[in-house]
Amino acid sequence: MDINRRAEVPETIEIQLKKGVLGLCVLALLNRADSYAYEIASRLSDAIDMGEGTIYPLMRRMQSDGQVETYLVESSAGPSRKYYRLTEAGRGALAAQTAEWSAFTKAVDAIVANDADQGAAQ
Amino acid sequence: MTRAEFIDRLKEGLVGLPTATANDIIADYQTHFDDGIAAGRTEAEVATALGDPIRLARELKAEAGIQRWHQEKNPSAAAAAVFAVLGLGALDILILLPLLMGVVGTVFGFFIAAIALFICGGVIMVAGPFAGFPGGPFAAILMGLGLMAGAVFIGALLAIFTIWLVNGVVWFARLHYRLLKPALESSPVQSTSTSGVSA
Repeated sequence: MDINRRAEVPETIEIQLKKGVLGLCVLALLNRADSYAYEIASRLSDAIDMGEGTIYPLMRRMQSDGQVETYLVESSAGPSRKYYRLTEAGRGALAAQTAEWSAFTKAVDAIVANDADQGAAQ
Repeated sequence: MTRAEFIDRLKEGLVGLPTATANDIIADYQTHFDDGIAAGRTEAEVATALGDPIRLARELKAEAGIQRWHQEKNPSAAAAAVFAVLGLGALDILILLPLLMGVVGTVFGFFIAAIALFICGGVIMVAGPFAGFPGGPFAAILMGLGLMAGAVFIGALLAIFTIWLVNGVVWFARLHYRLLKPALESSPVQSTSTSGVSA
């Protein structure tokens, strides 16, 4: 039973973590510069290995939550492009989630490091 | 999967959404293909990277349903939101449905009771003074008004409770489907970097 759990848990944690921080990553990217969905998706899929398609439900949710807004930019070739930028609420969400994230990682780091020390000592 | 296949499946999955919303979503994915091809990828590569169109359509539909519920608090929006999140499989229908049915049935019963009480109050107020209500006509009118006010009060409480209930279900489902595994996987095949098994 223990062996089974060990095999399953890391994968689940990894996926849940990624899904949970996806919103935070998008907020952080948009805080640096306005961007469009394809660019956001390709940067995130490179970094955290997610299905690129999930960016669209996420962007729609963030838009309906008022964290991002869109505007169109004329393009030299083809139709105009939809850009996303952060709203005030989005910046607020970024600050809150960043604080949450660093508190969480610090706590986990402390526990994991402690565990590793004990393992080494035994 | 080719671009046309992906878009067709997505369209199929989005049936039921307002046309403008569905077109908007499809335009987003069309642009994604354009961008991908401009970046030198093939249609098949872009489609694989995007993930399962049916799964994506379900998520988009749930998102649209929840958004509509936040904008207009009416029974049809509530039903649409609840059914859309049920469609995600985030809620265990077998466990939740009997429970939900019980609660919905109780709420419905109270609603009927409130309506009956309201009508009853109206009848006493109008007919009481002429039918020799004990205590006289004035007491009959007051009694009728009291019953009607009570019915309105119960109705208002029920409305608040119902809105709270739908919000609760939506919140719970959202919390869970965000953590659901299949949404992240681009295909039923496991991704190479997490499992080390090559597709």
